[in-house]
Amino acid sequence: MIPFTAFGLLGMLALSIPVGVVLCMLAFGIDVFFSPFPLMRGLGQVVWSSSNSATLIAIPLFVLLGEILVRSGVANRTYAALDKWVSWLPGGLIHANIATSTMFSATSGSSVATAATVATVAMPQARELGYSEKLFSGAIAAGGTLGIMIPPSINLIVYGFLTESSIPQLFLAGLLPGLLLAGLFMLVTAVLCVIWPSLGGPQRHATWAKRLASLVDLIPIFGLFAAIVGSIYAGWATPTEAATVGVAIALAIAAHQKALSRQMIADALRGAVKTSAMIMLVVIGAYVLNFVLTAGGVSRALQNMLNGLGFGPMATLLVIVLMYIVLGFFIETLSLMVATIPIVVPIIVHMGYDKIWFGILMIILVEMALITPPVGLNLYVVQSARRGRPFADVMLGCIPYVTAMLLMVALLILAPQIALYLPSTQ
Amino acid sequence: MTSLIILLRKVNDRVAIGVGLVLLACVAFTLIEIIARRLGGSLGGVDEISGYVMAVTTSWGVSYALTEQAHVRIDLLHARLVPAGRALMDALAMLCLAGTAMMIAWRGWGVLAKTLSTGARANTPLETPLWIPQSLWWAGWAWFAISAILLSLFVIYKIVRGRYESVERVAGARAEV
Repeated sequence: MIPFTAFGLLGMLALSIPVGVVLCMLAFGIDVFFSPFPLMRGLGQVVWSSSNSATLIAIPLFVLLGEILVRSGVANRTYAALDKWVSWLPGGLIHANIATSTMFSATSGSSVATAATVATVAMPQARELGYSEKLFSGAIAAGGTLGIMIPPSINLIVYGFLTESSIPQLFLAGLLPGLLLAGLFMLVTAVLCVIWPSLGGPQRHATWAKRLASLVDLIPIFGLFAAIVGSIYAGWATPTEAATVGVAIALAIAAHQKALSRQMIADALRGAVKTSAMIMLVVIGAYVLNFVLTAGGVSRALQNMLNGLGFGPMATLLVIVLMYIVLGFFIETLSLMVATIPIVVPIIVHMGYDKIWFGILMIILVEMALITPPVGLNLYVVQSARRGRPFADVMLGCIPYVTAMLLMVALLILAPQIALYLPSTQ
Repeated sequence: MTSLIILLRKVNDRVAIGVGLVLLACVAFTLIEIIARRLGGSLGGVDEISGYVMAVTTSWGVSYALTEQAHVRIDLLHARLVPAGRALMDALAMLCLAGTAMMIAWRGWGVLAKTLSTGARANTPLETPLWIPQSLWWAGWAWFAISAILLSLFVIYKIVRGRYESVERVAGARAEV
């Protein structure tokens, strides 16, 4: 049964069958071949109860928030303002790339839309100012991945939903590691640019007067972030309610930027429905598979197998981390998370690890999947904003940031408190 | 045949806008509830209604994502094949999707039929008759199955006639953006 599941999963994925469909078909297969009683009679109920959820509606709302925000034209100003604050560091504008993608993806739900927006804003500057494009584009791709860790995060909502853990706690747990990782990205950039100045470009110094004046342009994004995360932290709002408030604020920002039009709202709605339906088909597939794996005893069989191997908790954890790194080359973020959660999380919990902590660890690992070739969505998104230049530039430019992520994985394993401290203060 | 697919896309586009507007209405409703709660009152039932909205958003949204080719596929192998091979993989993907969609629609009907026969109501203060959200929900999955069957027929028809590029345009793997 375990080989059937593993090979069935990888085989069908390789055949390019849609991921959500693969998960459902795997569940049908296990039901037909291995289950003593027909589980699929419950399929309708499973689909109904998994999608009838006041928790999951936060997904389309956060996606909508991001869709409105990227169309509001606020990215240009944010980028210009952050440029004044961070471009004095060795590496110059590259730091502005990291900071802008971090802030933007932190408030919006979709890291892809974010990377696309920041890339369109930033890439022309690279040419104008004569930056080497490798590290420059790598920073946008890597910075964009932070969005799924820094709250609000759609991936954390999905994780919380599938593993029945608290989403507010997950959001809080992601905050410090996310900021730390952003800091590591900037540190790596600065160190590299001190050693090899040709990797970066001119450092830029803005006067304090200009810096302070630019703060006005940061208010929208900071305000949005504070409203969402603050209200969840204080316990005033559920993630869904915070998302609702976020959508309202994003609409206000767009109105203030005079970007609001019927066409713009229609496009934002289309984008939100498309992205969230895509996510939901995968989530429903995982939910159905989860149901069959649990009812069919696969999870237990897997645990017995692992116990039989006699690995300790640390060895098991390292094997799992390695598996994510390898699979991450070939499978995309959400698919990777959702397809493995039903199998991996029960094992991790059984080994005595914390579910919330592992959620954050998993997020870093799937962030890496976003920027590791051949399948790494953010690489392609950044590349599409710089047509005609070699794709290898983006890939090479990401290597330092992948290294920083590996360092972060090690830190998180050695010091789980980085993730668990904030939730414990709530 | 091609005009049928164009029509399907147009219909699903309208569906997406409709679903999006329902989502916006839900945003407004939730905002009013948050403000009312600050003032000490409450409309009640917001959670329940957002749950139904989510179920309907999902079941109708999947068809739009289908015609927009947005459902995630791993195209590692796919991208390396000749056009005929890619078209065959697209056909396989579409047929598997249509099969799964029919399975969900069929089993989903079981849920709705039971609700209709027992007249079940939600176990909440609103006591919503469940057939209302469930029939909207089920209709979305049924439409998903119909859309997938139409697309599968189109893809097979085009493959038989050797028109691989139109298969690619309608059912090819696209990066999720």
